[in-house]
Amino acid sequence: MGKLEGKVACITGGTRSIGRGMAEAFLREGARVVVNGRSADKGQQCLVEMGASDRVAFFAGDATKQSDVEGLIDFTIDHFGHLDICCLNSGGVAQTAPVAQMSDEEWKLEIDWNLNHVFWGMRRALQHMIPRTSGRIIVTSSVEGKLGKPGIPGYAATKHAVNGLVKAAAHEVGTLGITVNSILPGLIETDIVRATGPASAAMMGLPSYEAMLDLFAQESAIKRLNTVEEVAAVAVLLASDAGRNMTGTMFPVDGGTMPY
Amino acid sequence: MGDLSGRVAVVTGGSRGIGRAIAEAFLAEGAKVVITGTNADKGAHALHELNQPDDTHFIQADAKVREDCERAIDEAIARFGKVDILVNNAGGASNHAPVADLTDEALDDALRWNLWSTFWCSRRALKPMIERGWGRIINMSSVEGKVGKPGISIYVTAKHAVNGLTKAMSKELGTTGVTVNALCPGVIETDIVRAEGPGAAEAMGLTYEQLIDAFTHESATKRVMEVEDVAAVAVLLASDVGAGITGSLISIDGGTSPY
Repeated sequence: MGKLEGKVACITGGTRSIGRGMAEAFLREGARVVVNGRSADKGQQCLVEMGASDRVAFFAGDATKQSDVEGLIDFTIDHFGHLDICCLNSGGVAQTAPVAQMSDEEWKLEIDWNLNHVFWGMRRALQHMIPRTSGRIIVTSSVEGKLGKPGIPGYAATKHAVNGLVKAAAHEVGTLGITVNSILPGLIETDIVRATGPASAAMMGLPSYEAMLDLFAQESAIKRLNTVEEVAAVAVLLASDAGRNMTGTMFPVDGGTMPY
Repeated sequence: MGDLSGRVAVVTGGSRGIGRAIAEAFLAEGAKVVITGTNADKGAHALHELNQPDDTHFIQADAKVREDCERAIDEAIARFGKVDILVNNAGGASNHAPVADLTDEALDDALRWNLWSTFWCSRRALKPMIERGWGRIINMSSVEGKVGKPGISIYVTAKHAVNGLTKAMSKELGTTGVTVNALCPGVIETDIVRAEGPGAAEAMGLTYEQLIDAFTHESATKRVMEVEDVAAVAVLLASDVGAGITGSLISIDGGTSPY
């Protein structure tokens, strides 16, 4: 008997990396899961790799677009009948820069991707969860939701912002059987980090991508990066019945990086 | 095959309350569990209820006494061969009063119960953990380890200190395979809270019921926590997949703590 038997989850950015790790962990615990990503090809490949059972489905959509984020919530409810666990996991940067050189376009993109997407998804999911007096919202934040490295100001600002949104929403729905939490991972070498890391490293004034990975690792106590599995295990706990009294929490998975 | 198969855990103050729930959760995941407590009858009763005599052991030990803490670790190793997981759960505070009226003895007692006990047990358990390259130390803190209510300064001070010790230890041990974390629960109506709550409430100018209300109303969930909520997080931290979490002060408080 899994910890999430009978539960339905959706995950933005769920075809690869952290979201994919959550999807696989949720499936192992008996949940039904809708994963989301922009690329239909990657989505189909993800379904095949995960065994393509009738307990998992893919919804193509862009997390920076309101209609796509809301579409994922609606699709999940249509497809599996209801929604118990909403993981707002997608996020990142495209071409970051120090504040002095930051373009309006990048700034707006990061706000849409990291903050607005979480708001759109959370609002739509809560409208479904509140009448059912049951639900879990899990937001993938970051250590940068409490810290602030140079060169990634939009990421730091939006990850701080989602933590504020999580706290406020947790208090709004605290007596309704719905929890709202964020997970704050340290750096994990995901696809998005590999893709955008070299540019981010340059913007942070570092000599190489490897130097950026090393900077994050050296800030931690464990002197290594974190893993997708470590984050997924926390997501399972928060999503399970045992997580019913944890809300408004910023759960660190950072190897001892953050001071609080 | 549980998440803690083959592991040996020591849970101080494990006869009742949060410690007992952690002991039960660890057993369910396949660990062997040593519990400590001051009262031999309560310990024997706990072992009887846990009903896994081959996998459990009780040691009569007072967390406020160094020799007892060190003997508990030594006896656990003698009984089951090692200690993989140490839960420094024993704690509490007596003789609460506003700082202006506080006695030296009340503060000293609270520090022994919460801070020194954590230090003594951890120091004793650490060397073999470091040698084996695997260990988990889980310190029972409180929401009062992050915030501070009037009238219970001895408890607030002791739990903040436990959080500081947790952070420092995690940095010392970060690359050794030993993680150190603190759990910060909101109020749970355990035996110790029922015993010490009325005195704490009086020091805050409240009745016991008002004290419980004061905690629950600060939360988002508007209710007290349950021991099982804390035990589930302890299992995660103790498991292999908890390896990437250290130095964390994890709130299990229904949304009370601001950070």
